Amino acid sequence: MKAVASRLRFSSLLFAVLLVVPLSVIMARFLIACGQSPDPPSIKVVNLIPASLSGESNQDSEPFLAIQNENPQVMVASAFTPNPFSMTGNAPVYVSQDSGQSWALNAITPVQRMTCDITHAMATGENHPRGDLHAGTLACASAITLDESESNDVASSAAMNVQSTRGNVDQPFVRAMGVSSGDRIYVGVNDFNQANGHTATIDVSVDGGATYRSIPIEARKTAGQDGPSVRPALASDGTVYAAFFGWRKFDGKTATSDVVVVRDDAAATGTNPFRALKDPSDKLPGRVVVKNVAIPWSNAPALGQERIGSTLSIAVDPNRSAIVYVSWADKGNKGDIYTLHVRRSTDRGVTWSKTDLPGATIHNATNVSLAIANNGVVGFLYQQLSARRWVTHLVQSHDGFTTARDVVLATVPADQPVGQFLPYLGDYDYLLAVGNEFRGVFCANNTPDFANFPQGVTFQRAADFSAKTLNDGAGNLVPISIDPFYFSVPVMP
Amino acid sequence: MKISSLFLGAGLLLAVCGCTNAATPQAATDQAALMGKASIVFSGTVSQLAATSFADVPKSTQTIVVHVDSIVKKPAAVSLKRGDSVTVEVKDASAFQEGTQATFYTDGWIFGSGVAVKELGHVMGAAVGPVHVTTAGQNPQGTPEQISDQELRERMNTSDYVVVGRVTDVRKWNAPKSKSGAPLHVTEHDADWHEAVVEVQSVLKGGKVKGNKVIVRFPSRNDVAWVRSPKFTKNQRGIFCLNRGQTSGAPTTTVSGQQGNVYTCLGHGDALPMSEEARVRALLKNP
Repeated sequence: MKAVASRLRFSSLLFAVLLVVPLSVIMARFLIACGQSPDPPSIKVVNLIPASLSGESNQDSEPFLAIQNENPQVMVASAFTPNPFSMTGNAPVYVSQDSGQSWALNAITPVQRMTCDITHAMATGENHPRGDLHAGTLACASAITLDESESNDVASSAAMNVQSTRGNVDQPFVRAMGVSSGDRIYVGVNDFNQANGHTATIDVSVDGGATYRSIPIEARKTAGQDGPSVRPALASDGTVYAAFFGWRKFDGKTATSDVVVVRDDAAATGTNPFRALKDPSDKLPGRVVVKNVAIPWSNAPALGQERIGSTLSIAVDPNRSAIVYVSWADKGNKGDIYTLHVRRSTDRGVTWSKTDLPGATIHNATNVSLAIANNGVVGFLYQQLSARRWVTHLVQSHDGFTTARDVVLATVPADQPVGQFLPYLGDYDYLLAVGNEFRGVFCANNTPDFANFPQGVTFQRAADFSAKTLNDGAGNLVPISIDPFYFSVPVMP
Repeated sequence: MKISSLFLGAGLLLAVCGCTNAATPQAATDQAALMGKASIVFSGTVSQLAATSFADVPKSTQTIVVHVDSIVKKPAAVSLKRGDSVTVEVKDASAFQEGTQATFYTDGWIFGSGVAVKELGHVMGAAVGPVHVTTAGQNPQGTPEQISDQELRERMNTSDYVVVGRVTDVRKWNAPKSKSGAPLHVTEHDADWHEAVVEVQSVLKGGKVKGNKVIVRFPSRNDVAWVRSPKFTKNQRGIFCLNRGQTSGAPTTTVSGQQGNVYTCLGHGDALPMSEEARVRALLKNP
C-alpha cells in the first residue's frame, strides 16, 4: 500500500510539474497581457481611464469618489478630466457599476468642458438604484461659479440638475446621507459672501437639495477670511462635525491658523446649528484643536511639482459618533516643507489628543484623507514625497495608531510627467469606508510598470507592461500623464 | 486645406454617393452643418436594434449597435477604428433595421470599454472622405486645441472687439484694496492678473479704438481655472477676441495717464495666431 501511495504521490508531483506549472505560466502571461499583476492580492488598484480613451494624455488630477451605499457596486469618481469630444460639452464623471472593476466616462456635470473643483456624494438613491448623486462643482469660464446639483441616474445621458448656484465661493466639499425624509446634503465651502471674514461655511440641505441654507461656522476674528478647506463629516445618529482652518494672520506666504472643529447634534436642522462645541479658552463655538500653526501657502510648485496650503480631513466613527479624527498639514519641523498630523477625540470633540497620534506625524506629505470603518478601524490615506517619488500610503489602525498596518498603493516618479497646471496630483484625494472595505482614489504618474504599484494594478486603457508604454489602442505611443486610480483595501479585522 | 473645406468636401461626397436623403444642394448644406456640429462621424452597418455594445450603457428602444465601416471624424483621444461596434442612441429607431448602412453624425455619450454616442443626424449610405482627427479633449500643453468654425463664430459673435494687434508691454496688475481695507480673497484659483498693452493694427469687429491701444488683463497663474486662458508675451502678434473686463473686479485702468476700459481674453480660442486671420475674416463675413 505504501508503495502504491508513494507512486501516487510521485504521480501527483509529476502531474503538478508537467501540467500545473506550465498552466501557471500561461495564466501569468495572460494576466500580464491584460494589464494585471500575476498574483492578484485582495487589494485592488485600477486605473480609471477607459479603454476607449486610450489616446488621452491629460493631467487628470484631483480625484474624488462617491459610493452608492445601498448599492455599493455603483460608484462615481471625478478628476480634472475634460470633456473628451467637445470644447463646449459637459465636464464628465467616471461611473462604475461593478464595484470598481471597470469605469466609463459620462459627461453629465453642469459645467462646460472641465470643472475647476468637483466633489460629490451619493445618498440612498430613492429615485433610482444609480442615484442620487449630489455634486458641488466650480465652473471657471470667466467667473468662478458654484453649482450644487443632482443626478437621479448617473448612467443616463441627462445632465445633472442644478439646484443652487452662486459666485464668490471656493472649494466645495460634499457629503450626503439618506434618511427617510429625503437626502441630507452638507457642502463645505469657503464663502466670500459671508460677513466679517467668517468665510468657513456649510451649505446644508435637508430636502435632497431642493433648498440650501448657508451657515457660517467661524466665530472668531479672521485675517479677512478662513482657509479654503472646509470639511464636514457625518455619523449615522445625526451628529455632524466640520473642520476648517481659522486663518488668524496671512502674509502671502504663511497662514497663521487654528484648526477648528464644530459639531451639531441634530443634523444641522436647528435654528443655530454647529454650536454644540465651545472652546474653553474663549467660550466661542468651535473647538480649537491646535492654535496658531504656520501653514505655508504656495500657488507654485513647492512639494515636488505640487502646490501646498490647505490640506485637511476629518472623519467620525459611523456608529460611535463620540470618536472623531482630524488631520492637517502645516510647516512642521525645521527642514520640512509640509508635515501631516493626526489627532483624535473620544468625547465628541470636547478634548483632543495633545500631540500627534503615534506614528501619525508624516514629513513632506499632503493629500490626507481619513475614514472610519464600521468596526472602528481608521484609514489614513496620504501621498508623501520621498526620494523623488510620490508614494501613496493607506495606513490602518484599530487603536489610535498605537499599532498600524501600512500599505503602499503606488510609488511613482515625482518629476515625470512635467505638470500641465496646478494642482499636479490634486489639492486632495479621497477615502471612504463601505462594508469591510476602504475604497478611495488617488492620482499618480500612469507609467504601466508593476514596480510602481506594489499591490498590483489593472489598466483599462491600452498599456504594454513589458515595454512600460501606453498606446492609443491602435499601436501609436501615448505620452505618460497623470491619471486617477481607484483602490479597494480590506479593512483589517 | 482648411478644416471647413474638408467638412464641406466630405458632405458633398456624401451627397453624390447615392444616399437617399442627400441629393439636393440643401441636403449637402445640412450635412456640412452637421459635420461642423458633430464630434464623431462614421459610417457603419446596423448590427443590432434595441441593444448596446458594452455593459455601461443603458439599453433602450433608442439604442442600436453599429458596426463601424469607416471613420470620418473623431477626437484624437478617442480610440475608435474600423471594425469596432458602437452604441448609437438614435432619434428615431424606426428608421433603422439590421443591415441598414448609414453615416452617423454624433456627439460622444459614454466612453468605457467601448464608445457610445448620441445621434445628431444621419444619412443613409456610406461616407467617402478623409479622416479628420480633432484635438478636443487633448491636454492644454500638447497639440494646440483647434477651435472649430462653429465655436469660433459663436465666440466672435459674443465679443465686443475682434482685433489684429501686437503686444507692446506686459506688466503685473495689483488689484486696488477694498474700501473696508480688508484683504482680497485668497484662493488656490487666484489669477495673478497681469496686463498686456496691445497695439491695434486693425479692428475686425467693433468700433474705433482710442489711440489704437487696448489693455488686456489676463491671468498669469497656471491654476486649473486658468490653464486654457491665453497668456500674453511681449511682441506677440495675433487676433484677439476681447470683452469688457468684469472678471478681475476692476473694469478700468490707466492708459497713458488716462482712465480707460480694460478688456479680457479668457477663453479657449480668444487669442489666435496670425495664420488664422483669413479664417477669422471669412467667418466674420459669413456670420
